[in-house]
Amino acid sequence: MSATVSAVSPPPGRRGWHEDSAAILVGAALVGLALAVGWAFRPTADAGSRERYPKGWPSALSSTINKPQTWNASPAEALADRKGKPVGAAILLGLGWVVAVSAAGAVLRGHAVARVIPGAAVLGLLGALAYLLAAQKVIHYYNLEYPLWALVVGLVIGNTVGVPSWLAPALQGEYLIKTGLVLFGAEVLFSRLLELGLPGLLTSWVVTPIVLVATYLFGVHALRIPSRSLCMVISADMSVCGVSAAIATGAACRAKKEELSLAIGLSLAFTAVMMVAMPPFIRLAGIDPIVGGAWLGGTIDATGAVAAAGEILGRDLGDKRPAEVATTVKMIQNSMIGLIAFAVAVYWSGWVERGTAPMARSLAAEAWLRFPKFILGFLGTSILCSALFTTSPETALLVDGAIAGFTGPLRGWLFCVGFVCMGLQTVFRELAPVLVSGRPLLLYVLGQGLNLALSLAMATLTFGWLFRQGAGP
Amino acid sequence: MMPRLGGTLRLATAALALAAIWLGVLPAVGRWPPVARHVRRMEEGGVNPAAMVYSELDRLPLRPRWAAEELALWRVARDGVENR
Repeated sequence: MSATVSAVSPPPGRRGWHEDSAAILVGAALVGLALAVGWAFRPTADAGSRERYPKGWPSALSSTINKPQTWNASPAEALADRKGKPVGAAILLGLGWVVAVSAAGAVLRGHAVARVIPGAAVLGLLGALAYLLAAQKVIHYYNLEYPLWALVVGLVIGNTVGVPSWLAPALQGEYLIKTGLVLFGAEVLFSRLLELGLPGLLTSWVVTPIVLVATYLFGVHALRIPSRSLCMVISADMSVCGVSAAIATGAACRAKKEELSLAIGLSLAFTAVMMVAMPPFIRLAGIDPIVGGAWLGGTIDATGAVAAAGEILGRDLGDKRPAEVATTVKMIQNSMIGLIAFAVAVYWSGWVERGTAPMARSLAAEAWLRFPKFILGFLGTSILCSALFTTSPETALLVDGAIAGFTGPLRGWLFCVGFVCMGLQTVFRELAPVLVSGRPLLLYVLGQGLNLALSLAMATLTFGWLFRQGAGP
Repeated sequence: MMPRLGGTLRLATAALALAAIWLGVLPAVGRWPPVARHVRRMEEGGVNPAAMVYSELDRLPLRPRWAAEELALWRVARDGVENR
């Protein structure tokens, strides 16, 4: 936490909800709103047709939220989408949703709403600036995602002019990120785990936990990195799926802002390099295209970068299969985030933090007390939407439409503004000792090396041999 | 007053540097043939490399048809039995 910003507490005499409870209620209400509006305005013709609605039913709420579009030479290009449709009003409305979520959080937590709204609007504008920086085409197509620029915007302001006193009440970064994670739960559909059957499950579910645990233990015991939460966040973003996994596990193990910033920076830097370097390596090494696709999906951190690398490899080989296998393997990894965040939260509250706090209650009671409750909201929306998704073709299209049209974009805004808040509250000099030691970088590199080796071995075993039709023993 | 003025100057300098990079350097980098080719490929392929999760991809990877023919998705190894 920055020395320039004090924590904002409810006024004396007013008792508010816990941050996690507020995040669960607001996040669940927004998911419920998206599903209810989607159902109320459901199409009357071909309602169960995936061919007609490939990304789900169009959501009536989609016109109320958007973000700056990709641009090349002039930021003015960001105000129209690829079809030339203006998006300026929807960007402003998206900013309005951020203000509304901030205000709802303030009410539930017993803070003065009037003091929060002006600051939330300014933070929303800074979030829009971060989105604008991320939307420049070179930045966008090399996967330098918006969280990085949101942190940069916050860091630059926080470390030059500091945080003005009127803005401090609106700095609810952790609440916004937790609310975003509850919304994110709706996107983590368990049925996606089965898209590639056993080969996909084995590549994701065997390698990923092994790499995650091995990297974490290596960081703690061999490299002796003092912060266990830093080791966990680096291990998760490297082994699971980049920034989204870092956010979820970082919240589950209560990582410091500086640690999450560092892990995200490492992940994005290596992702950009791997996205460009791995496809030509696979081609030159003569690796089977399907195995190569699975390898890309299992190792490159970010989902979008996996799709890009798969596209590069597929174009070079004149084969669409690598891109499809790569993105599907990564999608299976995406679907693991909820369970991994839950496991990390249980491990942290039951074992790691137990060693630092005096035991006044039973082990289970202590663990429950420290357990980050918002994870339950994350899992709850995930289970609800997974159940709806598998109920019927219509409800599957309802869920997809609600995600694509509303909860997904809003989750992006909440993360973006949450990262601006984190940047504003991070002091450069607190990052310096961690950066100078070089050990986090070494942990990432060694962990990624293990990930590359194990993923290639498992992809070769499953996609290239055991489960290949006609190629099995 | 001096520290505050110094902070404002540092912020203005940083803002100018960001503006110069985003409005001058990056568009120039984007015209460099390898980078321009990469951007064109991604645009033509409808790929969103900035997607944080699969739901942000322009095309959802839904069980490709060829996979059922080329991969034994649920086969128990060695005994040749397929479960689906």
